[in-house]
Amino acid sequence: MLAEVGLAALALAFGAATYAVIAALWGALRHREAFIISARNAALLVFPLTLGASLALLIALMTAQYQIAYVWQVTNPNTPDFYRFTALWGSQSGSLLFWNLLMSGFSFVALLINWNSNRRLMPWFIVYTMAVSAFFLGLSLLLENPFARIWIMPDGSVAQTVFIPAGAEGPSAVRLAATARGLNPLLRHFGMIIHPPLLYLGFVSFVIPFAFAMSALASGDLSTNWIKAARRWALIAWLFLSLGLLLGGRWAYDVLGWGGYWGWDPVENAAFIPWLIGTAFLHSVMIQEKRGMLKVWNMFLIIFTFSAVIFGTFATRSGLIDSVHSFAQSSIGGAMFLFWAAVTLVSVGLTLWRWNRGELRSEHGFAGLASRETLFVLNNVVFVALALAIFWGSFGAPILSELVFNTDISLGASYFTQVTAPLFAAMYILMGIAPLSAWGAGSAKRLGRAMVVPFGLTLIALLLIGIAGTRGGGALFAYGIVMLSGFVALYEIGRSGAARARATGENIVQATIALFGRNRRRYGGFIVHLGITVIGLGVIGSTLFQAETQQTLRPGEALQFQDYSMTFQGIDAGQIAEDGRFMDIANLTLARNGAQVASLRPRHDIYPSTEGQQGMTMIIPGSYSTLENDFYVLFVAGQADGSATFKVYINPLINLIWWGGLILIVGTLISAWPAESAPASVRERRRAKPTAAGVVA
Amino acid sequence: MRACNASSRRSLLILAFGLLILLVASLTQAQDGGAAITDDQVNAIARQMFCPVCENEPLDVCMTAACIRWREDIRGQLAAGRTESQIIADFVARYGERASATPLDPTLRGLSVYVPWLIAGALLLGGVGVFWRWRSTQRHVPTAPPADHPPVEAADEAAYRATLERDLKD
Repeated sequence: MLAEVGLAALALAFGAATYAVIAALWGALRHREAFIISARNAALLVFPLTLGASLALLIALMTAQYQIAYVWQVTNPNTPDFYRFTALWGSQSGSLLFWNLLMSGFSFVALLINWNSNRRLMPWFIVYTMAVSAFFLGLSLLLENPFARIWIMPDGSVAQTVFIPAGAEGPSAVRLAATARGLNPLLRHFGMIIHPPLLYLGFVSFVIPFAFAMSALASGDLSTNWIKAARRWALIAWLFLSLGLLLGGRWAYDVLGWGGYWGWDPVENAAFIPWLIGTAFLHSVMIQEKRGMLKVWNMFLIIFTFSAVIFGTFATRSGLIDSVHSFAQSSIGGAMFLFWAAVTLVSVGLTLWRWNRGELRSEHGFAGLASRETLFVLNNVVFVALALAIFWGSFGAPILSELVFNTDISLGASYFTQVTAPLFAAMYILMGIAPLSAWGAGSAKRLGRAMVVPFGLTLIALLLIGIAGTRGGGALFAYGIVMLSGFVALYEIGRSGAARARATGENIVQATIALFGRNRRRYGGFIVHLGITVIGLGVIGSTLFQAETQQTLRPGEALQFQDYSMTFQGIDAGQIAEDGRFMDIANLTLARNGAQVASLRPRHDIYPSTEGQQGMTMIIPGSYSTLENDFYVLFVAGQADGSATFKVYINPLINLIWWGGLILIVGTLISAWPAESAPASVRERRRAKPTAAGVVA
Repeated sequence: MRACNASSRRSLLILAFGLLILLVASLTQAQDGGAAITDDQVNAIARQMFCPVCENEPLDVCMTAACIRWREDIRGQLAAGRTESQIIADFVARYGERASATPLDPTLRGLSVYVPWLIAGALLLGGVGVFWRWRSTQRHVPTAPPADHPPVEAADEAAYRATLERDLKD
């Protein structure tokens, strides 16, 4: 019954989205209001229907309806309720449905919020959001249906189909439960509960700013209306994507057991590329708002952000990453490739058409090399170059090599660090300089004067770092440019607060809080810069100064590494966990400078093989964290004589990455937080009221 | 004649003893050499290679049986006195370019490592060209800020406040 309910809701959602596209298109082209209203109503139906389908699947997961092939594939009778819930996005067809749910939810909210304020854009907004939804709902319905069931055919073979084949019957519930596979062990982690939904939220929410941009192009309303409507959505999308990336890094660090958080894996890079282009867009869009410039560039940035989202989804879901030939064999690879190509080509074509008609002309020229718009453009070039370099290493070179030379290649971390390091350095330098420059006009002399204090603070900090024992010109340079960007953010917050305090007589804290309230986006942006600075310090420390060793110890023996001493006590073998996995746990005591600081229990989680599914062993690390560094140990292997091999990493400053992530979240929330919406009469009165000094208003 | 025989027998004995010592010493040396290969040395090379089974998994961190065998192979080759580049080249010859984190074939190496720099150079040149072209076509467009945005050149308090005020207008 649940399968039928889910299937019906999914089919209706697909139908509603398709109808909304056609009705909105007709209404917009023929100026028929009734069709537009009808399209809106259909578009608003898509979310509740997709929610209904998702709830049907969720109930099936929670109540162990193993005849539904997806439930059989991702759960088994040992699966705790917690993982039954997260199994909704634990495999292809469920995660695609979940993707649809999030996308339709965003479209639903954006449509309701903007219906009255952006009336001219709305018909085209419906066309674009619903076209994307219809495509993904179609994938769910026709190619990756999560409601397909398992049937025993008359000849005894097993089939998975949505509708019952002639002569087939359902298998016995006992047999289904006995053979059910269960969730992929890699996904049984707290990070996996949050990481995929956040990443999906980041991915799908970029459809909203993209749809606003395309609506502007299609409707001809090329004023800043679409930017005003889209910018907060872009910020929200960027926040979710940032959170998804950060949590993905944390999950890799805690679960994958290789001592790091970022492996430059193509799947990670597929999520990082839209983040980079989206970051460029968030900066560049300010130039269009303030100066009416870069209209074409902004269109390209939002198009390629969304295109990168679709490409990343296509690459990770189609098997393209395994082999360029495998995506064509996957059920959704061909369709996704065509959709990605169509979205990109149509959007680029529309932009070029408007450009050619002279409708995207800049209202101002560049005022000078030291102006903020010039520095923002340079920053944009760096972000795009980073995205291109990472795309090339992850997809471009391997695909070209396989297609042209028939040779499989994969590029390792060394390629990415070599190519991206100078670009990241340029990014931090520009992040340090640009906030001190001025819109429209600026001189290098004035910029230089403003840099004196942050530059001096950076030199003092570098001196302290040098005294603390850090050596190496490269490392000090890297720390220097990263800290400079942070000091600039702090300096600018302090300087503006002080200026307001002098003008109003408030104390500096009150003055600064008032400034935060006056322009949340500006000051939230400074907090985000601080977060990126802290993350940068963590990345430099943990990359340049990571130390590792691997040794085999007998029980009672100790491993000395830097100021740590790790003593191996023995192994608790064959422990059984609640979910049925076996655990071999190594018992270690850790001392630092002679004092015991922790007991660590790195372990092997062994998932026994079941019918039709191979067993899997996961190596779960033990770690001792301080702000200064992490002592991170892996139990590599145990030997018959009772000895065991351990791999130990010391990761300096790695926790700054997670703390920086928190700062970044706070900053983005401040930026995205809606301003107080006072009634028009109150706003009028406020505008009319003269102020003593502009800045203190 | 007997003295001569005794002398040559003694010389032979000394020679044989010397050879024995040399043999024992070289065997010990060889054994020491084998035992001296640490996991860290193996991992330093394995880090530059990929697992043959798992996609994009560095060899030094992968725990599959295939990777453990490969690491033991590296240990054996190190013990035999082969260098890092010889070992990686050997794996590439046996298993293909995918074994190495950076292609060894000069064409593929050029394609993967140098192309991004060429693209970046072309982008930069193109960007500079577009910028100059843009500047020349924008000369008729007002470059000064709008009327309510006066240019700020001086670094005094009032100028800074004016700049800040412009920034605060959202």
